[in-house]
Amino acid sequence: MAAQVLPLPQLKLPMGPSPVTPEQRYWKSFRSQKSHTSTAAWPISHISFPATAGATSSSSLVAAAKVNDLFAVTSGPRVDIFSIRKRELLKTIGRFDSEAHSGEIRADGRVLVAGEDSGKMQVFDVGGGTRAVILKTWHIHKQPVWATKWSPTELTTLMSASDDKTVRLWDLPSNNPSLTFTGHSDYVRSGAFMPGGNSNILVTGSYDETVRVWDARASSSSVLTFKHADPIEDVLPLPSGTTILAASGSAISVLDLVAAKPLRLITNHQKTVTTLSLASNGRRVISGSLDGHVKVFETSGWNVVSSSKYPSPILSLSVIAAGATQEDRHLAVGMQSGVLSLRTRLSGAAANKARERAAEEAARDIGTEALERLDAQKAKRKRRELTSKAMDLLGESVDAAIPAGASRTPGARGSKRAVKLKPWQRDFREGRYASALDRVLDPSSNDFHSQTVLTLLVALRHRSALRDALKDRDEVTVLPILKWVRKHLPSTRFSSICIDVAFHLLDLYSEYVGGSTVLASQFRMLYGRVKLEVEKSQMAIMTGGMVESLMVGGAE
Amino acid sequence: MGSHIDANGDTASLKKRKRGPKDEASPLIKRHQSKSLSKHSTNGVPEEDRKANGTPTRRSKVIVLDTDGDVELADSGPVGELVVRKAHATWKLSNPMGGRMLDIDPMFSADERYLVLTYNTSLQVYTTEDSLLVRRIPLPVTRSGDGDFIVSAALSKISPEHVWVGCNDGRVWRINWTTGAGAETPYEINKYVLDMDIQSMEYGDVTKDVLLVLQTSESTPATIVAYDEEDLSKGEGTLLHTFEEKPNLLRSAANGKVVVATSGSTFHVGILKHKKKGVDSPELEYRFYSIGVPDLAASLDIRTTLKTTKKGATELQQVDVVIGGARGGIYLYSDIAAKLTPEGHGAVKAASIQPRKYHWHRKAVHSVKWSADGNYLISGGYEQVLVLWQVDTSKVNFLPHLSGCIENIVVSSQGSSYAIHLDDNSTMIISTEEMKPTTYISGIQSLILGDHPSKDAMVRRVWKPTDEISQPLVTAINPANPSQMFLCVGNGQQATLGGGGPSTPQVQVFDTSSFRGVTKHVFARTNPTDANITNHGAPIVEPTVTKLAFSGDGKWLASVDEWQPPRADTEVFITGKKTAEEVRRERREIYLKFWEVSADGSAVELVTRIEEAHHTKQQETILGLASDPTSARFATIGEDGVVRTWTSKFRKRDGIAVTGQDGQQLRAWTCSQTISLPVSGQQDLTIGLSERPPRSGALAFSEDGSIIFAAFGEPSEAVVVAIDTETGAIRDTIYNMFRGDVRSIKSLGSCLIMLSEDLTVYDVVSDELLYSFSLKETSRPAKRLAQLAVNYESRSFAVAAPVPNEDLKLMRKGTQSELLVFSIEDSEPQLVHTFSNLITAVYPAISSSGFVVVDAAAQLWSVAEGAEQPPMLRPLAELGVGDAADTDKQPGSMDLALGDADASDDEMQDGDQDVEMDVDDDYDVHQAVVAPERLTEIFNTAPSFAMPPIEDIFYQVAGLYAPKPVRT
Repeated sequence: MAAQVLPLPQLKLPMGPSPVTPEQRYWKSFRSQKSHTSTAAWPISHISFPATAGATSSSSLVAAAKVNDLFAVTSGPRVDIFSIRKRELLKTIGRFDSEAHSGEIRADGRVLVAGEDSGKMQVFDVGGGTRAVILKTWHIHKQPVWATKWSPTELTTLMSASDDKTVRLWDLPSNNPSLTFTGHSDYVRSGAFMPGGNSNILVTGSYDETVRVWDARASSSSVLTFKHADPIEDVLPLPSGTTILAASGSAISVLDLVAAKPLRLITNHQKTVTTLSLASNGRRVISGSLDGHVKVFETSGWNVVSSSKYPSPILSLSVIAAGATQEDRHLAVGMQSGVLSLRTRLSGAAANKARERAAEEAARDIGTEALERLDAQKAKRKRRELTSKAMDLLGESVDAAIPAGASRTPGARGSKRAVKLKPWQRDFREGRYASALDRVLDPSSNDFHSQTVLTLLVALRHRSALRDALKDRDEVTVLPILKWVRKHLPSTRFSSICIDVAFHLLDLYSEYVGGSTVLASQFRMLYGRVKLEVEKSQMAIMTGGMVESLMVGGAE
Repeated sequence: MGSHIDANGDTASLKKRKRGPKDEASPLIKRHQSKSLSKHSTNGVPEEDRKANGTPTRRSKVIVLDTDGDVELADSGPVGELVVRKAHATWKLSNPMGGRMLDIDPMFSADERYLVLTYNTSLQVYTTEDSLLVRRIPLPVTRSGDGDFIVSAALSKISPEHVWVGCNDGRVWRINWTTGAGAETPYEINKYVLDMDIQSMEYGDVTKDVLLVLQTSESTPATIVAYDEEDLSKGEGTLLHTFEEKPNLLRSAANGKVVVATSGSTFHVGILKHKKKGVDSPELEYRFYSIGVPDLAASLDIRTTLKTTKKGATELQQVDVVIGGARGGIYLYSDIAAKLTPEGHGAVKAASIQPRKYHWHRKAVHSVKWSADGNYLISGGYEQVLVLWQVDTSKVNFLPHLSGCIENIVVSSQGSSYAIHLDDNSTMIISTEEMKPTTYISGIQSLILGDHPSKDAMVRRVWKPTDEISQPLVTAINPANPSQMFLCVGNGQQATLGGGGPSTPQVQVFDTSSFRGVTKHVFARTNPTDANITNHGAPIVEPTVTKLAFSGDGKWLASVDEWQPPRADTEVFITGKKTAEEVRRERREIYLKFWEVSADGSAVELVTRIEEAHHTKQQETILGLASDPTSARFATIGEDGVVRTWTSKFRKRDGIAVTGQDGQQLRAWTCSQTISLPVSGQQDLTIGLSERPPRSGALAFSEDGSIIFAAFGEPSEAVVVAIDTETGAIRDTIYNMFRGDVRSIKSLGSCLIMLSEDLTVYDVVSDELLYSFSLKETSRPAKRLAQLAVNYESRSFAVAAPVPNEDLKLMRKGTQSELLVFSIEDSEPQLVHTFSNLITAVYPAISSSGFVVVDAAAQLWSVAEGAEQPPMLRPLAELGVGDAADTDKQPGSMDLALGDADASDDEMQDGDQDVEMDVDDDYDVHQAVVAPERLTEIFNTAPSFAMPPIEDIFYQVAGLYAPKPVRT
């Protein structure tokens, strides 16, 4: 039957070299940056938040509410405890003799463990009071303790890795380590429990350029050893429990435990990779490096899906998840300069609220009129909500509920409404081609976009109406077209139509150039641009010829 | 009509090439083979090395590897001595189906339940309830190959089951459209018929049909002659009026009391003189008046109001005439009878009668009609808009954006619906209240060669539609659903023929089993909602879909479309030595598009668009598109001398699979291989581009998909290259196979069939020329319409070529075509048939052994081997369910007698009627419309001993025929 009138579809151009992917958009949506500089600008060495685990079901309601609200940032001889929800510093633990390392909160959010340069390991109560209570102190390690981790399954078990080349397994009540793993020949700077059911398997990375896998049941020596080319800065087991990532120098190696072989070497960073973190429920891995770059990898082909640059070398980072679905909330990056950067992705109601506030601010900047319009919109939306609520209450017995004070019923919303054409589209449809072109070339209009102009010009060419749109103009109205052509001529996507338009303009207006200095100067500038392009093409052809002769020589 | 093979083995379009047996040094088969194919066969068995001495050897025994892996020893002796198998199956040609609706008003049956449409070679009866074809009555319109065509058709006034059909050569049929009787025995008038109308008149006590015929001959001027049935058998009627000029339209009303004819810018009104009551003289006497019209008359309608006199007779009260002009005006002459002075017999001064003018149309008013109540005028034309005029106020309402130009409008007798015939070969019935279509009948929308020019051509215009077919119809069959045929069509005939080449931006999906258009997909840019002419009155040229191919599994469709600006637009760009043609070529837009076809074929979605598939410094024509029969892969060959293969892969963005809305992984098509062909002659493409003679090319996959055969080159220098699809390496080059441009190349088994000015069959494995013919007609347009199709099932191929004809330089009306079907191992054609219309497409029927032919009259023919017939529609009447709909209990209602219903069908209908008694509501529904192939599916699934239990079969059949259970 009679077809519906649709607006002119925008021209689909070939994809450019770097379109913004949905993934990039996602990572760009970590906005509303908040920076926090540590005391005396100590470098931020470690950021951690308690991973939720099924084993912590024993904790009370109050604790459960707190579970997801704390994360710990270690910098210098301090561990700062932040609130995830408010992004604010809650308390600072400063009871260290020397530089602290690896402040880790337990999964139930009650206690925190941290090592320090003296070799001491302390467990603090993060609960009540502003002054943290030391619950336990071990001084077994004789060298700095660089990594302390809680077991994901057992609340009282933790591990430590130290510069004394040992890895130890601890039980909270006892004073001595339950197990000591020896085998590394240099500082052990990173370690982790394997996730999943097999938490009695540990993985550690050391400056002896090896990643070792330890089994608590066979404590004599390491079960697996992966030799690397550079010291290991960080290890990260993936949730699958069979794959480990290890940061070794400027590369990240992907190690498969089942096949006991490295799968891949990721070499996207320029300088030493210092930190690795999981994101998006384990579907992405994020890495930070001394070159100041944060890169996001997908976990099947290990391609970089997003990347961002920070002003200072990155020492630690973490994607802090929160909420019932554990979605990414904050991107916390700690830098050498002592700055902790917190970027937050709002979701759901919070995002809406933020958007509203931004709109209101913008409207306030423009003026009262815009503010009034915004208010009217808001009122309308509220009315609609009210109506739908009323409808819900009434059930299906009535067809429409009229809200009090509503001037007209917002009915018939669901019906198919004709797509409203923009003014230039209507002009185009009704054959006023010159007017349509004027509208899209008007810099003050909303439709002023080079691709819209391109769409219109190509459509005019298809309708044999290009000349109609260009002719019978005066000095003032022809100038925007000339300027547009000059500007877009070098771009390959636009050059074809620009050439056609320029031909028409020359044909139509060359006789008036003598009488108008403005027109003459514009045409002269166009000529200059064309000459430049010709020179460029000549250079390209020369280069092409040289390469061709090289290739012919190479083939022989 | 059927042709024969003469003693030399020549047919009307092909000439057999003579060669002596064992003529190894013949210039035609001189070849420069450097290396032979090492692998060709399906199962990968390498041929034994046969280039021992560097030259191909003729062997008496050759192992022929069939596609199914059977190895048989074939005697491939020297060329001329091929053993002809006499026992080959006979090929049969089916009756044609379809056709083109003519510019003749559709006819509603008296009860508005049937619509009778006049096609170029038949009458077709459709139900208005569900748009199904009830009966197709073929008419032997073409007698001797000259331009005979139907000029008029109208329902009889006294017996509503009869239709009068008039042909321009003076034949008049009286056809019972409920039975189809009467098509064989026309009446002859022996004059040229210009137009015809039917009225019932009283001859004393009897009322008879009277034909008012506008006729002429070379010697006599145009006359209106009235015939009743007796007069028709005698061939002599009553002369009513003689004209000085040549009228074109004739209408009458009110039982013949008024007759109106138009000729040029005059119209003639004839009023029946009063007769004394009771005088049964057959004399009809009219008083004629001539009135000038400000424009050339293109359409005409009369509205009369009658009053009853005291004596009980009826007489005219008011006569209103409306005339649609060729320049877009509509002229209304109201109450014209009163203004005509009875004394002034003859010309009336034009000034004395002034019409009201309504002007909206840009071009000729193709049809204008009164509404049933006389308050509205309905008109339509080239603008594809139905215009409704309020007569008193001139206020207009529109029904815009129809799918084609409006040709005819008919208001049903009850005034409740309009039948609108559009020039895209479709007719729809629209309810007058809601303007919603209730019936839609759509035929094959391919280009046809029309009988007479459009009404728009009455006035000289900026442009004129071409009346030739310059390119074959592009078609493809959906392998997943062989009854679905995809044809490239435009927005109606006139829009398609607009400027230069055909504009075919759309693809019509046509179901050959139910014989109607299923849907139309837009494959290239088209703007049906915008004005279809430019501000200067020229047509808007839309892209042409030039290639279409399905992947082997039917899930993917590849298309190529081309557009170049019209010549008038490019004059400003001509600088230096460039010609207009070069300038246009530089601005060509050629797209290769890949579409995903939904499982039922009803939806296609664009997956990938390739902008410069083949290019040098400008876009180059894609000469050929072939699809791999074994996997989802396509290959293209372009004028740049490159073969590219295209495969699909999952779309990935930074290594992450891109998913669609339903989470399904999306695919994209990319070029997987690029093979540059060795170009004969000038190698450098950049030098002397303008002087380069046009190259031609074609390509085909081998049956097993392992080799691409690509033919490419300048005229007569084209070479065939065999490309290994695994590696992309060129395995063999065959020279001197073509004369003139390459038209087509196909591969069948171990043979290559090549069509240029020659038809050559060449065995690749044994490296010998099996046989060859040369086309007799070698003019450019004729060569372009020579076509080749290969059917793998029957190991045969079909060639269609226009028959040489000195009178026709272009492929216009009257061009005949010849179809030849060859078996691959036999140089004697197995079927030779001359079609009276140009063949625009020939393609193999999928999953059967035959071919399907589309001709320039939009008819579909099926050529099949033996008794096998493809599942094509047969009208309902042939299926025996035609009157299942006819369940009105009125005794006077028409009964559609069944032509060939057999006993079982009768029983079936008895059963249906029993059901009717019980249910008694909802009786308008067809109880059972069962396509024959459904029954075939049930009964032919297995040999009789392996059939499922009889109970199952019973339920299956019952399930087909039984009505759906009524929900209570």
